Amino acid sequence: MSFFVRFWGIRGSIPTPGHLTKKYGGNTSCVEIRSDDSLFICDGGTGLRELGADLLTRGKKQITGHFFYSHTHWDHIQGFPFFTPAYIPSNTFHVYGTAEGDRRTYELLSGQMRSDYFPVDFGELRSNIVASHLDGGHREIDGVAVSFFEQHHPGRSWAYSFVRDGFKIVYATDNEIDLTFPRPEAVLKEPEAPRPIPEAFRQFCHGADLLIADGQYFDDEYEKKVGWGHPRASTIIDLALQSEAKQVAIFHHDPMHGDSDVDRKIALCKERAARVNPQLLVFGAREGLELRIG
Amino acid sequence: MASQKTKNDWNDESTSEISVTLLPLSTEQTPSVLEMVQGPGAPRNYELFRAEMVVGRAIDADVPINSTDLSRRHVLLKRAPSGQYSLQDLESRNGAYVNGVKIHSAVLHDGDSIQLGSILFVFHEGRAMS
Repeated sequence: MSFFVRFWGIRGSIPTPGHLTKKYGGNTSCVEIRSDDSLFICDGGTGLRELGADLLTRGKKQITGHFFYSHTHWDHIQGFPFFTPAYIPSNTFHVYGTAEGDRRTYELLSGQMRSDYFPVDFGELRSNIVASHLDGGHREIDGVAVSFFEQHHPGRSWAYSFVRDGFKIVYATDNEIDLTFPRPEAVLKEPEAPRPIPEAFRQFCHGADLLIADGQYFDDEYEKKVGWGHPRASTIIDLALQSEAKQVAIFHHDPMHGDSDVDRKIALCKERAARVNPQLLVFGAREGLELRIG
Repeated sequence: MASQKTKNDWNDESTSEISVTLLPLSTEQTPSVLEMVQGPGAPRNYELFRAEMVVGRAIDADVPINSTDLSRRHVLLKRAPSGQYSLQDLESRNGAYVNGVKIHSAVLHDGDSIQLGSILFVFHEGRAMS
């Protein structure tokens, strides 16, 4: 068994098309995870449109997919109305909340298709769209154990882990880990010091074969953006090191960052990682990249 | 001494009205190139002139590389209708790495490094080959 992980949207906050973002891409968050015939979709930002188009080329008469939303801010849901497979009656999509009766994500997905916002009503989607949930934080779906972890973000957000046959993928975006430290201000003064990642989150990410994590800001940018819900990329390196992840994809690139900025951010992250563990593989998530895990 | 006005006089602030004749756009196409920077016969350039090209150890591969590091059919380079190339690992024994990341597939961009075993390439994006 292998996981296949493909990045369809990697940008934070707002789509950023244009020549400055050609290499990494400008679509907002959407990551596809496949395990055998099972399809898991992490977030439905604008990258979801292209995933939908691609799914229709794969020759399956019935598509079943499982949506896991980190949260429902615009950049994580805007692709859904343009997800063509949702308009086809033979398809089924499960949209997961984090507890029984939690229909918030489902209702916000449908709410963004009210006529004030979008010309096609949610009711016109002909696929079977099912509001579902994780049981007590966990659920096994087609042999894949899915768990969630509540993160630090305005309005709340959730990380998800996917485990099968000893292989683990963690998707953790929109998480200002820096504000969960006992003394966040101390880190601003000593950026080179190891960041005190909370034990619970370290455990959640522990041993990930692939950690996909929001690393939106440079250290010197962050000071002006405290409380916006995103961490320094350097903090993600410490998370990966302390949780003993094998590789980390820096995700949710800042919309103000062109390709050369992201290149520089990743280079700094690699330097930080190499000082502690040169074996940790660090890269910038970019659209069109597909990894095989396992 | 009064200066004499010429057609290309930099000091002349007036613009002549002319009948504009559209000039032909350049239709020159340049193929994408796989530049081998390390490996047998390097440096060497392989022009990507077909929509699908296999790189591997097989003598009949589109880009044959005489190295036991490579599987017979190691990777497939595939051109989309947009002209953009992607790279797909064909279940090779030693894998394919783009910019140091082991990939299953990847959309390629100008300057990407591609490593297959000990063979190293740099991808150069061409123009309007679709």
